Amino acid sequence: MTTHASMDDPRVTLDEQLGSFEPIPPYPPRTEREHEFYTVADGEMLVNIGPHHPSTHGVLRVVMKLDGERVVDIDPVLGYLHRGVEKLCENADFHHTISYMDPLEYVSSLFCEWPAVMAYEKLLDIKVPRRAEYIRVLTGELNRISSHLLAMGFHALDLGGITPILYSFIERDEMVEMLASITGQRMLFNYFRIGGVNGDLNHEFMSRLGDWMGRATAQVEANQGLLNENEVFVRRNRGVGTIDSQTALKMCWTGPNLRATGVPFDIRRAHPYSVYPELDFDIPTRSEGDSLARYLLRIDEIKQSLRIIDQCLHQMPDGPVMAQVPRLMRPRPGRAFATVEGPRGQYSIYAVSDGTDQPFRFRIHDPSFLHLQSFTLLMPGQLLADWMTINASLDPIMGGIDK
Amino acid sequence: MTVMSRAWGRLTLPGKVIFTAIPLLLALGVALALVVGILGGPIVELASQYGAVLRFLVAATIILVITIPTAFLIIFMEMKIIAFMNLRVGPDRVGPWGTLLSVVHGLKVLMKEDFTPSRADPLIFTLAPVVVYGSSVMTLVVLPFAPGLFAQDFNIGLLYFFAMGGLAVVGLLMAGWSSFNKYSLLGGLRSAAQMVSYEIPLTLSVAGLLLLAGTMSVNQLVANQSGWFTNWYVFQQPLGFLIFFIAVTAEANRTPFDLTEADSEIVAGFATEYSGMRFGFFFFAEYVNVFIVSAMTVALFFGGWNAPFPFPALAILLDPGSLGIWLLLGIAIVPLVGTLVLSLPFLLTRSAMPAWQAIVLGFVLFNVAVVGLLGVWAFVSFDWVAGLLWFLAKTYVFVFTFVWMRATLPRVRIDQLMGFAWKWLMPAALLNLFVTAGAILVVGR
Repeated sequence: MTTHASMDDPRVTLDEQLGSFEPIPPYPPRTEREHEFYTVADGEMLVNIGPHHPSTHGVLRVVMKLDGERVVDIDPVLGYLHRGVEKLCENADFHHTISYMDPLEYVSSLFCEWPAVMAYEKLLDIKVPRRAEYIRVLTGELNRISSHLLAMGFHALDLGGITPILYSFIERDEMVEMLASITGQRMLFNYFRIGGVNGDLNHEFMSRLGDWMGRATAQVEANQGLLNENEVFVRRNRGVGTIDSQTALKMCWTGPNLRATGVPFDIRRAHPYSVYPELDFDIPTRSEGDSLARYLLRIDEIKQSLRIIDQCLHQMPDGPVMAQVPRLMRPRPGRAFATVEGPRGQYSIYAVSDGTDQPFRFRIHDPSFLHLQSFTLLMPGQLLADWMTINASLDPIMGGIDK
Repeated sequence: MTVMSRAWGRLTLPGKVIFTAIPLLLALGVALALVVGILGGPIVELASQYGAVLRFLVAATIILVITIPTAFLIIFMEMKIIAFMNLRVGPDRVGPWGTLLSVVHGLKVLMKEDFTPSRADPLIFTLAPVVVYGSSVMTLVVLPFAPGLFAQDFNIGLLYFFAMGGLAVVGLLMAGWSSFNKYSLLGGLRSAAQMVSYEIPLTLSVAGLLLLAGTMSVNQLVANQSGWFTNWYVFQQPLGFLIFFIAVTAEANRTPFDLTEADSEIVAGFATEYSGMRFGFFFFAEYVNVFIVSAMTVALFFGGWNAPFPFPALAILLDPGSLGIWLLLGIAIVPLVGTLVLSLPFLLTRSAMPAWQAIVLGFVLFNVAVVGLLGVWAFVSFDWVAGLLWFLAKTYVFVFTFVWMRATLPRVRIDQLMGFAWKWLMPAALLNLFVTAGAILVVGR
């Protein structure tokens, strides 16, 4: 049995060997890269940030090799939130897997459900009613806005500004309440179904949405004025974590992070799905590719999302919100791949069916994982405090990365 | 009683000592006051021989004691004001409007375990908070709160202020080094780099002011600014004031220069491994520092205890002895009449209110009126009361500014911080000194 000894306890004589505080690495190096990283030169030190740290957006652990304040090398360590979601899904029937999707990226749950139901609909040859598609787009864009607002608030919080996160949460809370009024949940919605959605729009949702849409644009702009015109904030972000479009494409970046380097790649336009071809919206891009561009691009995306919501409300057809689907689903043997554009990039599901009521293989593709691996490119040569900027601007969510 | 004894059992040794010492000191103070009051004459005779020493001891004790409520007040202000700026409610449970929450924080810190990490250097680890807190309290010695209300007036008072302020960096370095923690080490090194760099523009920014004033005694500097508010040095040294205020923000480790305890980067910086009252000392020192730098800004640039306009001297001297028998009658009758008169409106108009409630209300109003009148009388007839009020009012405007900045601004990066000090503040301070010297040569003082 282990007992805890304290220096303040006079009855305990401490063995000097007890508790050796050399936490890194906990194992002998397994690869050449690990050997290179954990060999510390003179004047360098390894600093462990996370898994419990205020600005790691979950339970990410990064080991930094520091020379003074300057980062020489960086090693992200994953797996602290691994739950084996893919394996869980392979042992659940098709309806069941949708609720496993929600906690993946817990701030944008609908975008994790969406590719899963799209993949199953392809396997089962189900035609989704148009009203259901419109409702999916409407709720999805609301979720995108709330996710972007959260990212922008935490961006400021990581740089030491304590107020913007609370201003962001005013808007986000309104949207979360809106979604809760049709889905019944504030964060893990479990709303999309194979062949439609769980419930039609109701009065509370519509009245809240109408109330909010009247002031949304002005409110979001007013809140962001605290940061966009803040010299300290802008200088902390400009030119930090710059990446060019070619490298970003090679590193498989997608979403706002890729568009901030000038590549107008958006799955809603490049590989259209749902009713996006019928909607009119732009794909905002920026050419700088630094943290400030990534931050500002999210504001532009919020404005486009507001446009889409407006059109959805005007074009929404009448009709059912669920297709006729069998209670017990046994799709034909085959495979399906579905992908959507989420607030962080490309979310995809690759599902293989062997004719039973459970997926034979279930593969989840998450954009944050690919953004996270670029730390090793972006960080060397930057300062310790820049890691918070870069991490916040890439906006990874650990739930999706560790799966 | 069991609650009390249980609470007592949970106190650490320093907590027990402090809790025992506070009532003892209070009793001692009351006894001293009584003795001085009764045996006034002979004791004053005796004290006058050791007058300077005695005065300094009393003043130092008072200063040490007032840091505690000052820190409590500023902590509460910070919690509440930032809450309002964030559109939150803030503390509202303990005491009226949550005013006692910071007191509860203080008690909580006393009750926590005073933990030392096993690999830490225990002696330096223990001494570091003492050095930090001591240095900030020692700067209070030269602050003139009101005419005649100061601990010690040095002819090099300003130099002493900078020297003692610079001592804090030693304590922060000690804390950072002895904690055996890499975050602490980074925080300590950051604080050393930051404070040493900002000492230079800080000292240079007041050099122009010293040329104008020709003295380094803070008391004399404040006295120079009497009369209309146009005499305040901020109107002659606007650039100097700006540089001083920025540099002093960095010296006090406040946002946007709070890199030493950047919570999103190095967790809590030098204070990461501290808990209990040792952490409390760091915490207190930070808020006492906010008060000190605000007070110094006011003393140097905003006229200290001077009113913004020449205040008419209305010395209303009360001589109760001359009233004779009327004094006794007044004491007997005025409260009765006052209470009745003030309760009349309630008695006449509020038919639903019972008479006793109206009379109690009238009594409360009478007391408020008497205290208010006494306050006005003290303000008008005593220099130091008016001076203290002006001084505190101006100081808390700056305390509010610090809190406001904390709610608004993110944190700068370490290279931006150093670059700002060496590339902008120092040349600007030198320019300010140069222009001031030239102006004095041409125009005269």
